[in-house]
Amino acid sequence: MEPVLSIQNISKSYGSVQALKNVSFDVPAGSVFGVLGPNGSGKTTMLGIILDILIADGGTYSWFGGMQKDAARKQIGSLLETPNFYHYMSAIDNLEITAAIRQAGLEDRERVLQLVGLTERKTSKFQTYSLGMKQRLAIGAALLGRPKVLVLDEPTNGLDPAGIAEIRSLIKTLNKEGITIIIASHLLDEIEKVCTHVAILKKGTLLLDGPVDDVLRSEDQLEVRAADMQELQRILQSMDGITKIRLADNTLQLACAPGIEPEHVNSFCSGKGIVLSHLLLRKKSLESKFMELTS
Amino acid sequence: MKELLAIEWMKIRRYRTFWVLVGLFLLLMPIWNFEVAYGLINLGGGKQGVNFLNTAYSFPDVWSNVGFWGSIFVLFLSILVIIITTNEYTYKTNRQNVIDGWSRLGFYHAKVLLVFIISAIATAYVFLLGFIFGIINSGSAANVFSEIQQVGYFFLLSVNYLGFALFLSIWIKRSGLAIGLFLLYSFIIENIAKSIINHWTDLPVGNLMPLQASDELLPFPIMQMAKTMMGNSPSISMNVYALATMLWCLVYYYCGKMILVKRDW
Repeated sequence: MEPVLSIQNISKSYGSVQALKNVSFDVPAGSVFGVLGPNGSGKTTMLGIILDILIADGGTYSWFGGMQKDAARKQIGSLLETPNFYHYMSAIDNLEITAAIRQAGLEDRERVLQLVGLTERKTSKFQTYSLGMKQRLAIGAALLGRPKVLVLDEPTNGLDPAGIAEIRSLIKTLNKEGITIIIASHLLDEIEKVCTHVAILKKGTLLLDGPVDDVLRSEDQLEVRAADMQELQRILQSMDGITKIRLADNTLQLACAPGIEPEHVNSFCSGKGIVLSHLLLRKKSLESKFMELTS
Repeated sequence: MKELLAIEWMKIRRYRTFWVLVGLFLLLMPIWNFEVAYGLINLGGGKQGVNFLNTAYSFPDVWSNVGFWGSIFVLFLSILVIIITTNEYTYKTNRQNVIDGWSRLGFYHAKVLLVFIISAIATAYVFLLGFIFGIINSGSAANVFSEIQQVGYFFLLSVNYLGFALFLSIWIKRSGLAIGLFLLYSFIIENIAKSIINHWTDLPVGNLMPLQASDELLPFPIMQMAKTMMGNSPSISMNVYALATMLWCLVYYYCGKMILVKRDW
């Protein structure tokens, strides 16, 4: 299937700072595509370019296989960086403008306000909203007119834990309905829980991209301790299926081949006459993988 | 075009500052003209003051009077244009409009159309005031259309001022600075430059500077009288000033367009 968005060799500098260096990737239709990177890695710049807010120094991008760009943006719901609304107008009136520009029906406003839980405050002026409410309204505006694609830049900014969970489940629901979602975040947890694909940026360079399972294959780790650490290390080196041993904080960290479970290690050690005082299975998080990639 | 204007109207119709400035424009202009016409505003003040401003408010002179005073009131509208435009930058709604599917030029043309619409409405109002004062003071509608070109000049002047205000707003993006520079330029900078140029040239070429070109279309009526009495100093014809005004409007339009198309938002 044709990618929803195709990015080729995009570069962008701000003065002497190069924000993006020759970045290329495709966003497959139907995916939840995470753009991941530490602060200042170029995520927002990337999204700004594909939404025609920023002008790339070089490279091209195309939506829906080359649709005219203004027309394409009308079918994309976007939240970029901050919620941008007319402060002196209410939520419902602000959405009137959004609907008019997007050429969506006015009646859709009630649905999206309901979806983001702002129905009761829909006639309050935007400037009276809390940060979380502003963010909700921005997400609601992005959903107006049932766009085919959502572009969300740090969508859970300013939301409380319940709000974050809501947005996460909203993203999953929308994706099930067939909407492609492009989401930029530095919150790995957020990405890990919802994304099917990721692109990882670091200082404007694309490090990796692809299906999340390929890019961030999780490797489990075992932690062990015993009274005689040197002896423990010596005998574990002779055990099959242990691929790496690292001593840190008086604990041995073991990288294991698939199929090696904690009980195997335990019985192997006791068979060699060593009693373990500590045995722990640690799922390697996306966070540590990410740190490994970007630092 | 209709769509652009419809959306622009959604943006301003709930904006209180818009209504306050427009309301003041509509309210103060007839009051001011009334006071001038009936000598309440005069030199020296009070009942003994010299009523030097009390020039005719009958046809056809009424047109140059309401036109001139209207040109002063255009400052209200210029500031309004600056506020409306820089608000978009402050709220970053210019970005949001584009994100939602407007082209950059769509955003720009909505504002350009607004400049024309505000100018057209203000011009209609100037015509209405002139007509009412003229009828009252002339007693008849004869001569209504002599000197009516002054009303056309007012439209040109308004488009020029508002267009300049729009260009400044797009260029500078910040409300306070844009208003400050607008006032500084129109009252001081341009006058300094104009005087320097005119000092070195036979014809008053300095009068062709952006805002001055249209100020020349609607001069202070008393000064005009004085000039005529002093006789034949070399001057530039009204047609040239009108043409210069239109050219400046085109310059603002293209400069604004260049900035919007090439700059990051």
